[in-house]
Amino acid sequence: MDEKDLIRKAKRGDTMALSKLLQQNYSFLEKYLMKVTLHPQSAEDLTQETMVKCIEKIQLYNGESKFSSWLITIATNLFIDQQRRKKREKNWLEQEQALRKMKWNVANMNDEWANVLDVLAQINEEIRTPIVLKHYYGYSYKEIGEMMGIAEGTVKSRVSNGLKSVRMEMAEL
Amino acid sequence: MKEYDSKNSNSMLDDEDELTVKQLIDGLEKLDQWNPVSTPNLQWFQQNIELEKKRIRYKQWKDLLKFISVAVFVLSVWIAVVYRQPILLLYFQLVGIILLPLALNKNRKKVSDE
Repeated sequence: MDEKDLIRKAKRGDTMALSKLLQQNYSFLEKYLMKVTLHPQSAEDLTQETMVKCIEKIQLYNGESKFSSWLITIATNLFIDQQRRKKREKNWLEQEQALRKMKWNVANMNDEWANVLDVLAQINEEIRTPIVLKHYYGYSYKEIGEMMGIAEGTVKSRVSNGLKSVRMEMAEL
Repeated sequence: MKEYDSKNSNSMLDDEDELTVKQLIDGLEKLDQWNPVSTPNLQWFQQNIELEKKRIRYKQWKDLLKFISVAVFVLSVWIAVVYRQPILLLYFQLVGIILLPLALNKNRKKVSDE
């Protein structure tokens, strides 16, 4: 059964179809959230929150974008809302702890840590997210604007300035 | 597809930016390798969907009951006022007309503060 059939059945209330749809997209979504949160625990929690939101809102999916893009839109908005609710200081500390833990695990695997992740973690999530969506996932500025609810021009400037600051920080390392 | 898209989206970049993007993609790919995702089985999804559907149905009933209770209360007050002291209804409406612009103005200020 292809994705379109599953979506059609899921919208009609078929639990099995919705389960398959969510299962097929689960790992893609968690991997995306891992890249924008840089925090494995947050990524897992947000993935499950996104799944719950999807169950609630599946009737509203109109098929204009790919189902995975629709999930990214929900996940991105949940992530940005969550970050706005948290206090900046607490946020920074949590991010630092998560990165330290990941570095420790990477060292235990005898692998080399990617410094670009430290630089990415320092950037505000409203800039980091469009950079990841543009340069890792290859979405257009228009699509990113629609996903994040901001103007295309804003996305362009965030991506361009963000990339510039990543480059500068990397040069200083 | 991801690789194709990334290359496509990077075609307008200068050499320095291209190098930064490459480092970025490599770093993010490593992140995937270091944190493998385990997808739960189909049964787990089914159970969660059923639970969530139950919760949504319960919430909808709760909201509907709340709405009906408030509507019945407002209607009873309104009917009581109309039959006993119609002049009070006029006063309520006047107070409402005065307070509405103030309430709207307050909301607008909140938005502009953000």
